[in-house]
Amino acid sequence: MLLTDISPLLSATTAGESYSDFVRSYLTVAIFGLLALGMVALLLGVGSIIRPNRPQPGKYLTYESGVDPVGEAWPQTQVRYYIFALLFVIFDVEAVFIFPWATRLDSETALVDSSGNVFEILGPYGSYGLVKMLLFIAVLALGLVYAWRKKVLRWM
Amino acid sequence: MSILAVTEVLVAQNIAFAIIAVGVVVAGVRLVTTENVVHAALWLVVVLAGIAGLYILLAAEFTAIVQVLVYIGAIVVLFLFGIMLTRARLGEGETVNKKMRAPALVIAVAMFALMAYSLWGYFGSTELEVMGRSTAELGQTTAQVADTLFLTYLIPFEVVSVLLLAALTGAIVLARRD
Amino acid sequence: MNILAAVGVDNPPLDWHALAPELVLVGLLAVLLLVDAFGGERSRWAMPSLTGIGLLAALIPVATLAYDGVVRSMFDGAYVVDNYALLFKALFLIAGYVVVLLSTNYIAEGDYWEGEYYQLLVASLLGMTVMASARDLISVFLALELLSIPAYMLAAWRKRDLGSEEAGMKYYLMGVFASAILLYGMSLLYGMTGSTLLVDIAGAIEGTEVPALVALAVVLVVVGFAFKVSAVPFHTWAPDTYQGAPTPVTAFLAVGSKAAGFVALMTVVLIAFPTQPRIFEPLIWALAAVTMIVGNLIALRQTNLVRMLAYSGVAQAGYILAPLAVAGVSGASAAMAVEAVSTYLVIYAAMNLGAFAVVIAVARKTGSAEIDSYGGLFSYSPVLAVCMSVFLFSLAGIPPLAGWYGKLTIFLALIEPGTLAGYILAVIVGLASVIALFYYARVAKVMFVDPAPDGDTTPIRVPMSLAAALTITVAVTLVVGVLPQVLARVTGAETFLSIGG
Repeated sequence: MLLTDISPLLSATTAGESYSDFVRSYLTVAIFGLLALGMVALLLGVGSIIRPNRPQPGKYLTYESGVDPVGEAWPQTQVRYYIFALLFVIFDVEAVFIFPWATRLDSETALVDSSGNVFEILGPYGSYGLVKMLLFIAVLALGLVYAWRKKVLRWM
Repeated sequence: MSILAVTEVLVAQNIAFAIIAVGVVVAGVRLVTTENVVHAALWLVVVLAGIAGLYILLAAEFTAIVQVLVYIGAIVVLFLFGIMLTRARLGEGETVNKKMRAPALVIAVAMFALMAYSLWGYFGSTELEVMGRSTAELGQTTAQVADTLFLTYLIPFEVVSVLLLAALTGAIVLARRD
Repeated sequence: MNILAAVGVDNPPLDWHALAPELVLVGLLAVLLLVDAFGGERSRWAMPSLTGIGLLAALIPVATLAYDGVVRSMFDGAYVVDNYALLFKALFLIAGYVVVLLSTNYIAEGDYWEGEYYQLLVASLLGMTVMASARDLISVFLALELLSIPAYMLAAWRKRDLGSEEAGMKYYLMGVFASAILLYGMSLLYGMTGSTLLVDIAGAIEGTEVPALVALAVVLVVVGFAFKVSAVPFHTWAPDTYQGAPTPVTAFLAVGSKAAGFVALMTVVLIAFPTQPRIFEPLIWALAAVTMIVGNLIALRQTNLVRMLAYSGVAQAGYILAPLAVAGVSGASAAMAVEAVSTYLVIYAAMNLGAFAVVIAVARKTGSAEIDSYGGLFSYSPVLAVCMSVFLFSLAGIPPLAGWYGKLTIFLALIEPGTLAGYILAVIVGLASVIALFYYARVAKVMFVDPAPDGDTTPIRVPMSLAAALTITVAVTLVVGVLPQVLARVTGAETFLSIGG
């Protein structure tokens, strides 16, 4: 059994055509972001033009379900919420490691028998890569199980 | 690949770079001049996002992703939590003191001079060479990063997951109230 | 899909047998976590036994690999399982087992988070076993972080105790500072050579055009490890951390973390820098000399036994560093140095863990680690007093205890190259040992001669697990001292250095 990659080889993206393809794919992201900004600016701008403008001090109070607000909006946060930040950071870093693996998913590994016939096509690194990534995720999933069982995930 | 194609790409790249760079510099100046520390953290997000855009322009996709996930995601969140957990009076006027302005300026200018000096020689070239190997050979695309991660650095990669797990359980124990 | 590209992804062959000790530890970690998460309070008592069994189970593949005797190298030599790696894997696992024995009653009786304690201990041990095999910069660095980060948290495990928080905080800050220095050195090495493999780095920096840059990288890497092994002047965290941390954790830091730091230092210096003796030899020479002298002199003035052991540990780090200061003279001197360091680390682990076991046992009664509180120990708990004397005199290097043989191998390694630097360092080792005898003997004098400080002479009840830990450590200290050839058979350096070139 031989493991061979039959996808078109990834060409280097240093300059020229492949580079421009690469940046063009991110142009979509840029356009999307600009559209989102433009939409917000448009809605707020049109709103500020057509709405009546009669300022009163009461209008600047924080809205707290209709009753007068108590205290300020900048209190010291309880330390227990820090655990949520920590959980976020851990799984954020996990995502960093999953990302390169995911970009490789469109290339395939073919399992070839001795006479050269492809008998199975797998993901990027074959079952090998799948096992490795599952191991990585499983170990971190244990952390989530732990946090859940120790009632860390409850909001209060 | 014709020389014309490269030039066209470089023109578009330079325009995009200029737009992003202006945004980053403006946000950077606001970051150090704003009087509210929470606003400073939010300006930092703009600066870091702009730098991620610059990485994309350099075709360093993985670095850009790390920039977004780790810097904007993890580090800024920890900054904000750190600020919120302290007893600083956030709502009231100045929360940042400016006594260290002059030394900070000196250090910033010195850093800029150092980096400009060391990069000067590469001005105008399109590709850096490290140890006689081009950046493409050293591995730059995300797929190449994935290959080294899975094929060369498999054991460190799996070690990372155990490290994160240990950090998670330990941090939960130490941060809990009881 | 009918075209087969010539170049594909060649998945590296994985040697599951070679990875078995690490896999057992990962499995143990998962089992501990799940039992802790789903078993609730009922499962607390099972944690130490489960951990102990798991660590012993991880020793089985280490034994089969050693019996097999084949050098297994994976990932182009980034991960090597040879006799050198196996010796240290076994050392870490057994030391970890003894730490579990020390922790059993201490953790169960204090108000501690028990399941998590053992999970972090196992995670740290996993980092150490990986370190024993790591032969490239990234593996070395990640193993170092995996063994350190759980240790930072374990040092702060007594959450409501300011001393413990100080211990964890100091250890953490100095640890990340050291990591940053180390990483800076490593990044310079990678930048110069374009490789993270230690063997490739050795080839690439030989005769490089920028010797200053190589020197900077070597110095930064050695200094980064010097923090980890608490060599003077990078030792300042050690006494406060040792005193504030829970005592079993202190024992773990003093033995496990320090040994792992030495393994990393030895691996990197002897495999990546063998062509740069002009840089690393004087640096390590100075570190070793200063560490021995300063560590022993400050230890003389300590009134707290844990602090004294901390400074004595600093001094011991100096002895262990010494052979590396002459390792670059020739191949033979490198082999002697590896043998001396390996031997001393094994012996040091046994005698130091033993000393901490006695400290824990005595603290169960007196609640104190002040040297004065050991007064009259011989009159009411003679066995403990004798055990403590065995460990202390072994640390001092008195024959026929194991520490004597460790010192002997260090002397031999220092004299072997026949250089002036080696002879001077050997003299310093001798002088430092004489100073050390004073403070070790003082503790023995307090135990045997002085009366009990409060007149309370009820014998100390030593729990089963502590007794087991004492038995193991005393046995190793005595057997190696009387029959050193037992240890000499497993500390050879041939395969390790042959890979190093």
